[in-house]
Amino acid sequence: MISHRSVPGKIVLTTLLLLGGLALALFLAVTWGATGNSFGAIREALRHGSDATGPQQTILWQIRLPRALLAAELGATLSLGGLVFQALLRNPLAEPYILGISGGAAVGAIVGIMFGLARYPGVTGLAFAASLAIMGLVLFLASGRRILRKDSLLLAGVMVNAFCSAVILFLISLSQDSRLHQIMFWLMGDLSLADMGQVGRLAVILAPCFIALFMLSHAMNLLTMGAETAQALGLRVKTVMVLLLLITSLMISATVAHCGLVGFVGLVMPHLLRLLIGPDHRVLVPACLFGGGAYLVLCDLTARVISQQGEMPVGVVTALIGAPVFIYLLRRSRH
Amino acid sequence: MGRPPERTGSQKTCLGIDTVTEDLEWYPVPEDDKGHPRVDAWSDLFFMPFSSFVRYVLPVLLALWQPGWSHADVVDQLGRRVVVPPHPQRVVALAPSITEIVYALDRGGRLVGVTRFSDFPLDAQSLAKVGSYIHLDLERIVALAPDLCIAVKDGNPKSVVGRLETFGIPVYAVNPMNLETVVGTISEVAVLLEAESEARVLVAELRRRIQAVRDKTTVTADRPKVFFQIGISPIVSVGSNTIIDELIVTAGGTNVTAGPVPYPRFSREQVIALAPDIIVITSMARGAQFETIKQEWAQWPDIPAVRRNRIHVVNSDIFDRASPRLVRALEKLSGLIHPQAAGGQPE
Repeated sequence: MISHRSVPGKIVLTTLLLLGGLALALFLAVTWGATGNSFGAIREALRHGSDATGPQQTILWQIRLPRALLAAELGATLSLGGLVFQALLRNPLAEPYILGISGGAAVGAIVGIMFGLARYPGVTGLAFAASLAIMGLVLFLASGRRILRKDSLLLAGVMVNAFCSAVILFLISLSQDSRLHQIMFWLMGDLSLADMGQVGRLAVILAPCFIALFMLSHAMNLLTMGAETAQALGLRVKTVMVLLLLITSLMISATVAHCGLVGFVGLVMPHLLRLLIGPDHRVLVPACLFGGGAYLVLCDLTARVISQQGEMPVGVVTALIGAPVFIYLLRRSRH
Repeated sequence: MGRPPERTGSQKTCLGIDTVTEDLEWYPVPEDDKGHPRVDAWSDLFFMPFSSFVRYVLPVLLALWQPGWSHADVVDQLGRRVVVPPHPQRVVALAPSITEIVYALDRGGRLVGVTRFSDFPLDAQSLAKVGSYIHLDLERIVALAPDLCIAVKDGNPKSVVGRLETFGIPVYAVNPMNLETVVGTISEVAVLLEAESEARVLVAELRRRIQAVRDKTTVTADRPKVFFQIGISPIVSVGSNTIIDELIVTAGGTNVTAGPVPYPRFSREQVIALAPDIIVITSMARGAQFETIKQEWAQWPDIPAVRRNRIHVVNSDIFDRASPRLVRALEKLSGLIHPQAAGGQPE
C-alpha cells in the first residue's frame, strides 16, 4: 500500500502514523491505571493548568506520566536494538540482549540489590557498568584474528550470557528471602518507580543514539546484503559495525539498568513492522522508535490494569503477548 | 478528597501565645471596692484573674490552636524526621503487622488502606489494598489521599518511601526487632494515633503475659533443642538476632540453628545431625501439606523429635508479624516446649 511512494514520503507517513499511535498510547496510559480512569482529573488539569492539585493530579503527572514515558523510551530502545542486531548479525532471531547485555546488567543489579543499595544510583549504576563491561568482554572475545565475524560474536555473546545466568542463579541462591522478591521483580522488568528525573536522564543518553541510528539506517540496509557485498558497495563495514554495536550497547544497557529485563519486545516489534512496511531500515528505524514505544506503553498499561492485587511487572505481559505473536509470525513467514 | 494540609510545624507555640499576651491590657482588670485595681497573690502571679483567663483568653487560645498548625516534628525509629499531622484520620498501614497494631489500639477506623496479606482482624480485609508490603503500589496509596503512612524498615522498599515523601505524604517508619521493641512500637504508634490510654492497657497486658511465660520457664532447667522450620523447600530455619530465636529462648528452649545468618538454609543431613527434640513448622504451606512434611521427617527416627512425635505446625502469621499477637506466639511456643508446665495450653 505504501510501497509505491518515494522513500522520504514513506518515512514521513509512517512516522506520523506511529507517532499518533504513540501519543494515543501515552494518553491512554495516563488516563487509566490501577485506580481506574481519571477523565475528571484530566478535565480539571486542562481547565486549571498547573493550579490543579490533589491526589488525582499527583497520580496523573507524577506516577502515571513518568511511568508511561519510561515505558515509551524502553520500548523504543528495545525495538531499535532488535532491529540493529537483526541487521548486524543477519539473524532473524537476534534480539537486543543477545550479546550478553542482559546477563551483565542482571549480575550488576543483583549484586547492588544484595548489598542493599538504593535503586538509583547504586543498583542502576552497577547494572550499567556491568553490562558495558560484559559487552566489552564479548567484543574482545569475538575479535582476535577474525575481527567481528558475526558467528564468533554470536557465540561469544551466547556463552557469556549463559555464564551470567549461572552467576545470577548462584547469587539468587545466596540471597535472603526478603531481597529475593525485589530481585525477581527486577529480572522481570519493573517500571513502577519511574520518576521524571529518571526519564530525563535516560532521554539524554537515548536521543543522540536514536539520531545516530537513523543516520546509519542506509548502512544497515547495505549490511543486510552481507559484509562482502556491502564492502564491495563502498561501505566501511568494520567501522559501521563497531559504531552500531557501541551505540546499541550503550542505549540498551542504560535502559536495562533503569527498567530491568523486558523480553520479546526486540523480537516482536521489528518483525511485525518489517512485515507491515517492508525491509527498508530508513523507514524501519523511525517506525521502531515510535511503534516500539507505543507497544510497550500499552503493555505496561495492561500490566497495571490487569492485576487487581498490586502491580505486575511489564516483562510478564510482553512475554505473554510476545512469545505467541512471535511463533505466529515465524509460522506465517515460512509459508 | 482533601489536599494534604500545609505543614507549618514551627509556628505552633509562638503564634498562639505572642498574640494573646500583647492584648492583655485590653481585658478588664478587676477592681476592689474603692476603684483601685485589686492586687492580690493571684493577679500578681497571673496578670489577670483566673475567671477572666477562662472567659477571654482561653477561647482565643483555643481558636488559635487550629489542628493544621500543630503538625509535630517527630523522629521515627530509623532516626528520620517526620512531620506528622496531629490527628491523622487517613492512615495507610504498609505491612500486616502495622495493621494489627493499629486495630489492637482500637484505631482501625482511621485506616484507609492496608497491604495485600493484611487479614487480621477480619475487618482489615475489607479495606483498600495497596499491593504487597514488598511491592507497594504507589498509585493506589496516593489515590487514598493518606495523611500518614506507617512503614516497616524490614520489607518496605526505601525507594517507595522516598517517592511517597516527595508527594508530601508523611511516612513514619518502625523497625521492631525483638519483643521489647515490638511493645515499644505499639506505644509509638499509639502516640501517632492518639491512643495512649489504649496503649497503656495493651502494653501492661502484653508485659504481664510475657512475664508469665518467663516465670514458667524459670521453674525448670530443661532447655529442649528446638528446630524452627520456616521454609519447606529449601529447609530454612532461624538464626540468632531474629524475633523467633528470642521467642524460642524466652519460651524455655534452645534454638539449634542459632548463628549469625538470620535465615540459614539446611539440608536434611544437617537437621539429623542437629538432633532437635522438637520440630516446629510454620504454616506457610497449610493443611495436607503439613502431613506430607511430617511424613518426610518421620523417615528419620534418629531425630529425637520424630521418635517422641514432637513435630508441630504453628500459624506462621502470628510468628512472622511484629504485632501484639507475637505474645500469643510466645505462649503457644512455650506450651509446645514445656507442655508439662502449668498453663501450657496448646490450642
